[in-house]
Amino acid sequence: MQLKVALAGQPNCGKSTIFNMLSGIHQHIANYPGVTVDKKSGFFSTKKLDIEMVDLPGTYSFSSYSLEEKVAKEFIIDENPDVILNIVDASSIKRSLYFTFQLLEIGKPVIIVINMCDVAEGRGIIIDDKKIEKILGCPVIRASAAKGEGKKEILAALENVVELKENYKEFKINYEELEPLITQVQDEINFENNEMNKRWLSIKVLENDQVAIKLLEDKNPNISEISHNLREKFHDMFDKDVDSFLASFRYENSDVVCHKCVEETKKGELTLTDKVDKVVLNRWLSFPILLIIIVLVYELSIVFGYKITDYTWPILGAIKNFVADISPANDIAKVPMITDLASWLVNSAVALLNYLPIFFILFALIAVMEDVGYMPRMAFILDRVFKKFGLHGQSTLPLVLGGAFVGGCAVPGVMSTKGIADDRARMATIMTVPLMNCLAKVPFYTLLLGAFFLQDMGLMMFYISTVTILTALIIAKFLTGTILKTRETAPFVMELPPYHLPTFKGVILRACERVWVYIKKVCTIVIAVAIVLFALLQFPGLSDEKQEMYNKEETKILANFDKAVSKTKYYSLVDTREEVASLLNFYDGYRSKKMAGSKSVDESYASKNPEFYKFLKVAKDDKDAKKINTALRKLSTGRNTILRQQKNDKIESSLLGMAGRALEPITQFAGFDWKINVAFLSSFAARESAVATLGSIYETGKIDMNQTASDTSLDSVDDEMKNQNERPEETMSRNSGYTPLHAASIIIFMLLTPPCIASMIVVKMQTNSWAWMLFAIFFPFTLALVVASLFFTISSAFALSGLVAMTYYYLILLAIVVIISFIPEKRINWTTKPKS
Amino acid sequence: MSVLKTFGLDTIEAGKSCKIVKLSAKDKLLQKLLDMGFVNGATIEVVREAPLYDPMELRIHNYILTLRKSEAALIEVYECN
Repeated sequence: MQLKVALAGQPNCGKSTIFNMLSGIHQHIANYPGVTVDKKSGFFSTKKLDIEMVDLPGTYSFSSYSLEEKVAKEFIIDENPDVILNIVDASSIKRSLYFTFQLLEIGKPVIIVINMCDVAEGRGIIIDDKKIEKILGCPVIRASAAKGEGKKEILAALENVVELKENYKEFKINYEELEPLITQVQDEINFENNEMNKRWLSIKVLENDQVAIKLLEDKNPNISEISHNLREKFHDMFDKDVDSFLASFRYENSDVVCHKCVEETKKGELTLTDKVDKVVLNRWLSFPILLIIIVLVYELSIVFGYKITDYTWPILGAIKNFVADISPANDIAKVPMITDLASWLVNSAVALLNYLPIFFILFALIAVMEDVGYMPRMAFILDRVFKKFGLHGQSTLPLVLGGAFVGGCAVPGVMSTKGIADDRARMATIMTVPLMNCLAKVPFYTLLLGAFFLQDMGLMMFYISTVTILTALIIAKFLTGTILKTRETAPFVMELPPYHLPTFKGVILRACERVWVYIKKVCTIVIAVAIVLFALLQFPGLSDEKQEMYNKEETKILANFDKAVSKTKYYSLVDTREEVASLLNFYDGYRSKKMAGSKSVDESYASKNPEFYKFLKVAKDDKDAKKINTALRKLSTGRNTILRQQKNDKIESSLLGMAGRALEPITQFAGFDWKINVAFLSSFAARESAVATLGSIYETGKIDMNQTASDTSLDSVDDEMKNQNERPEETMSRNSGYTPLHAASIIIFMLLTPPCIASMIVVKMQTNSWAWMLFAIFFPFTLALVVASLFFTISSAFALSGLVAMTYYYLILLAIVVIISFIPEKRINWTTKPKS
Repeated sequence: MSVLKTFGLDTIEAGKSCKIVKLSAKDKLLQKLLDMGFVNGATIEVVREAPLYDPMELRIHNYILTLRKSEAALIEVYECN
């Protein structure tokens, strides 16, 4: 038999633990269409049943108008579940019963699960579940899901649902003064649907519930009016509002039930939570503790996770090599486009997948903090600061994860904004998290600082890391005061749940879920963008003359090689172009695998082609092989030089290069030439590629000289590595013609521009809107351009050095933040001033 | 019954208990407060203020809740220690 179960409960009642206990790992998470609320469903089977369980969003009530409540209500109305499984927190049973009454009124069979019984017992709360069962007339089950207790009983109850349905007795609270009005609505409305309870709908109409009113509007066009009139009437008759009346009435009822069924033996004693909070929320200790926790999260995820990537990198490297192996082989200095594309795509994906260990640890730690109950406490401690800038106490974590210090990632940062209740603050947080310093921006800063601020690196790094927070605060204030002004805000009414030990399974499941979402995004949209970028960099391609020139150069290095090896005894192995090409690929493949640190390279290459292998690992007495080895190195270097120049030419003449040039008239005010423009444009797929692009643009023929010098040292690929490249910092500072002021301007631009396409995708996910995603791209971009231009132009006019200019910039931002913090907050639209 | 002096909840000191007399909040905030158990006659204990003096931490119906002072000001209470 098929059974559809709705799982309902208040926040922090342990609903997801129950969900995980019942459904195992067969679950599916998506967004409800049109809203950002999670829809979690699990499928599992017992002997008799195939169960689909849908986890409704956690809500305190079923009566007001929050997004979660709307989604939960619409699910019950549209999907018509067979039974509602109501999870109740044993420790705060009074408030839970308030919600339970609202569920019972819906008119569907309800099974109550009293969860966390062990915790409640520890706190001296004794619950007579049989008595509750009798009073409410529905099955009541005790459970401690964190310990796995109660699973059997719940499944047994679910198997009994048919019986429960047949013997269903309607649950009715007698609302006394309100009853005549309920009857009146019931009589007046036109509604035929056996699945829905008319009394419930009538009560909802009196509560002015928009979901119910919308449902009835079809056949009852004047329903809003009816609702309005009756509410007025009730107010006139009893001097009470329907809403407060219902709430008080339900609370009184749950009070009565509690009085009869719940006994508290340790009332007034301090719980463990109280004791811990005395320390954690202490006026003087709270900030140091918060700092320690943040540093710990940062160290464990970003720093430690980054170290783990050393171990996962070879796996990704193997994928890269695998793709390289199966794509068509290179000719001497001609790379097939399909090979080029394949390696471009793999590189883009791999650059992002490289962060998986970091994300996994980060998500697991967030899950731990959520489960333990520290998140709302963090918000409690910092709310006052953030409130001043239109943010929310709960913005702390997203900003830290995004890289409020140095090196975070906007993806988990934006994802963790989900819990922020206040929509306006949530949007402001989503828009400011991408401004933080993401991990991939750091190499870029290091490159620039190393090239232009060698003396003042520490100070500059300090500016960079703190300037982000200042900027974020200013922008948040600006956004909430302008385009976000009309967004809905929510009152800061936040529960501090008792501390709980997280369950291992729950933490791992959640971390995996979020990582999986990330992987899916990387593999779809990021790849799509990478393809577009590739096309922009490929076309229109090289001109005929240029191509001709490269062909000539290729012929030249080939001829050199031929000349050098023609007298050796191995000449017959390499006397055709094809043979040389395959030897060259053999050599390059060996080298790149050796550099990737793979251990079994020598054996595998030796067995793959023993003849060629002789030229890689030259025996001491084999002079001819040594000759070929030397010639081969020269050939390889020559080929690489041609390929690099070709690539640069291609970038320069490509569509993206043209765009970079086209932007030059604008970006020149910020001190950017077209090369920087191209680097920024291409870095949008992944921030890492900014360094790579700049690197490849500034590479020069210098390398050839080094290469020749290193020819004397034989065989060691490592030696070759050391000599081959001069550090990119040096190349850049020497070849670019930039001054430190240029670099400062570039840094400012980089600080303000959003990180990468993956983070923008997450912005799209969390805001559920393409428009906001585009805004999140273009607003910071425009701002960055304007700010960098002003910065550069003004600093140039006053002939300031890069460091001095940066210091002024920093002080100005600081001043703005201080001034803003003195602006009194505007009163928020959902409150009215108390009459005094 | 003697007439009791009422205060805004935001003025109650940490460690004191009080009872709700009236809610001056409206619309969304009112509904939210009602759902969280701020009904007439309910007892609230002020546990502490946040380290930066705002928001405040309250115990109501045996659970812990935080409220900004600007909102707490809309809840009229009398002290009952």
